Amino acid sequence: MPQGEPAKTMSGNAFPDALAPGYRLHWYVLEQVLGQGGFGITYLARDTNLDQPVAIKEYLPVEVAGRRGDASVRARTEEHAERYRWGLDRFIREARTLARFDHPNIVRVLSVFEFNNTAYIVMRCERGETLAALLERRHALPEAELMRVLMPILDGLELVHNAGFIHRDIKPDNILIRDDGSPVLLDFGSARYALGRSRTVTILVAPGYAPFEQYYSSGENQGPWTDVYGLGATCYRAIAGRAPLDAITRSKGILGSTKEVLVPATAVGSGRYSDRLLKAIDHALAFAENERPQNIATWRQELPPITSGSATPVAPQAVPRMTSPAATVTAPAGAADASPPTPSTAERARRTWSSTRGPLLWGGVGAAAVIIVLAAAPWLTVRRDSVADKTVSAPEKPAPPPPAAPAPSRPDMDERLKKLEDQIAHGQQLLEEERTKLQAERDKLEHDLEEMKRREEAQAKPRAKPAVQTSRGTTAPSAPVARVEPPAPPVASPRAPAPAAVAPAPEVRAEPAKSPSPPPVAVVAPPPPPPAPPTTSELLARADSAVARGAYDDALAILKPLAERQNARATVKLANLHLDGKGVERNDQEALRLFSRAASRGDGEAQFKAGEMYAVGRGTVQNNFQAYVYLSAAVQSGVQAAKAPQERVAALLQPAERAQAAKLAETLMRKDR
Amino acid sequence: MTAKARGGLALVALLAGCASDDQVRGALIDVNNEFRQQYERILAENGTRLYKVKRQEAFNATRIALTRLAMRIGGQSEELGYLNVFAPAPIPLTPAEWQQAAELDLPKLRELARKHVGLMAYFVKFEPEGLEIVINTTTIEVPAGTEVSLTMRMREVSPPPSGMPRREYPPPSAVRMGLDKIWRELEAELKASGVAVKQR
Repeated sequence: MPQGEPAKTMSGNAFPDALAPGYRLHWYVLEQVLGQGGFGITYLARDTNLDQPVAIKEYLPVEVAGRRGDASVRARTEEHAERYRWGLDRFIREARTLARFDHPNIVRVLSVFEFNNTAYIVMRCERGETLAALLERRHALPEAELMRVLMPILDGLELVHNAGFIHRDIKPDNILIRDDGSPVLLDFGSARYALGRSRTVTILVAPGYAPFEQYYSSGENQGPWTDVYGLGATCYRAIAGRAPLDAITRSKGILGSTKEVLVPATAVGSGRYSDRLLKAIDHALAFAENERPQNIATWRQELPPITSGSATPVAPQAVPRMTSPAATVTAPAGAADASPPTPSTAERARRTWSSTRGPLLWGGVGAAAVIIVLAAAPWLTVRRDSVADKTVSAPEKPAPPPPAAPAPSRPDMDERLKKLEDQIAHGQQLLEEERTKLQAERDKLEHDLEEMKRREEAQAKPRAKPAVQTSRGTTAPSAPVARVEPPAPPVASPRAPAPAAVAPAPEVRAEPAKSPSPPPVAVVAPPPPPPAPPTTSELLARADSAVARGAYDDALAILKPLAERQNARATVKLANLHLDGKGVERNDQEALRLFSRAASRGDGEAQFKAGEMYAVGRGTVQNNFQAYVYLSAAVQSGVQAAKAPQERVAALLQPAERAQAAKLAETLMRKDR
Repeated sequence: MTAKARGGLALVALLAGCASDDQVRGALIDVNNEFRQQYERILAENGTRLYKVKRQEAFNATRIALTRLAMRIGGQSEELGYLNVFAPAPIPLTPAEWQQAAELDLPKLRELARKHVGLMAYFVKFEPEGLEIVINTTTIEVPAGTEVSLTMRMREVSPPPSGMPRREYPPPSAVRMGLDKIWRELEAELKASGVAVKQR
């Protein structure tokens, strides 16, 4: 839900499903829509009994339900009715559970009720700025400030975990920094899981903040460690100025199919943050769920101890706002529910989550306490004591004094220091990005250089041959350098195929120099050429030979590095090994990924195979459109065998889809990827 | 199911019994042809737009726009510039918009069907039940920017309550309204991300 967005009107096209302003839900009168997601609508409303604003979330999963003329919400079809009811029940049940929690750092649920054939959750109206907005302005947070946000959230979350729930959507957008500087965790999205039994979760997770298990598991692998990942990712964002790579991209990096790997926090934040904090963040971001801290208590122990000064809220508000009972930040040590469990408890907890808690997914409060960022903006100009606020501009104030003014005061110096820290953080991020780009360029240049060397060498070979023959005549040793090909040695290590393959070459080249006859070397090639590495085609031939004799490890050792360097043929051969389960575990998905990659580099065989896999749904969801794209490209590449399947698939597409896909196939052919 | 609905279905079944399979097939072919022609005309006019943005930006914006309209991602390839989304009909339209499209297109549909099935044509209606709307999008880099292209189809996931045969193409007015809605959302997303937008 776009919590940070300015409110729009309810009428007109902006929120066609929303109830109108002035609509009464018992004693709550709706005032405006704060946002609408796929799962519900959040309104700003007024509690006319207590005469105070509240946030009300209405359950309205648009995928399965819609609004009727009488304002009621109904499932779209009878088939959807069961899903709708299931989601609604969960929405209500979990809201009731969450309402039990009264923690200053968890959005407070005031009530839940059924009306209009749907349900409404009434929440305390919170005002402030999301951590996402704060980070957008300030790019990064210093360690002390970050800890002041993190620790209270840990306390609240631990309470929730102990009750058997997980949040599953922890990200800077869902952490609100109140005007008094205390953080509050929002959007306990039970509504999200109204659709949890459906086929895909890709739109249910926040890329960068959701761990891998949230993409591919229906809940059984999820637990407190899932939220720990979200917290780690949020911290990463706060130190690096950007979210971590999303888990899907990370999975590719881990598989070695891309160079995009997560730069660890220990690298990104080195020198600016304590090693302890950075290591704890990296631990929380461990890719495999069982390698992460398994609960909040364990992770908290890894974090640096909070200093007494750190307990000060991030951005204290001089004037306390309306409803903030107990809106103070509690230090972890003082939190009654925060005592770390014993190892056996933790282990038991893990077992419990694994076996029973999976289906008991988070719920409850559904998005959004009321975040009125625009309304909060003027308050930010109020003078506050915390370091955090010192970067906030104060437009009403006069311009700062000229440089000739008296020596700066302590607060001014603090402010300058803060700005410098922010600039450094920003600069480091830019450097990191630049480094990544340069690394990519360097890789490409190295690759090009290598290719160039090979071409030069290939050109030099025909020239060298007659020269040798001329100088030596018919009696000269039959050793023109270019023709000597040592037998392919077996390659032992995947890391060192090239050196192993070229090792014998210097001996052969040295041979003419050992000859007692007049040295022809000076005539042939005055400077002895450096040992030539085998060409790519030679390496590929060796890989073929290794596959033919069943030496798959040798083949993989040759193919993997070549595929990493974007060699299309090597990528196809590697894909074939995955497809057939030779030397590696059979993995259709990985095979398809590799075929697709080689296909985009113009390899006909890869285009054909990718097309066939899409046509039958092997390693992927069956997709005639993509099948047609790849098969058309294969036909254009001259793969005759692709013609028949292309025609078969074509018959299943609309003419418009065929034209659309054909255009994509053309770009596949002409692109130099 | 209400008694009224049951009665309606019984009547449809009775009338369907009066129409032979060939007649029903003939009606379906006529309706499909008409809808297909209109669909292709609409696509030719409004199925592709050019934006002065990078391909990646267009791809991301398209994905965001469609998910915001409650479409779900069925498949995607960023490298290729391909995105497939789907949702239960009438999404991306609201029920009210679907109803509006039905009011615009049903007379034509009934007129076409009446030639084949007579009175039964008056019981034909657009049923979103059991259908999914599937949208294929491509984002292709061209010299002037990025071309975004959309196609739309209906996919039957369960048989209709009425037992009436389904046509393959979405109603033309629904296509028109759906495309407009998607372009609006996409352009709003592009503008929100601060990129210059030029459209064709």
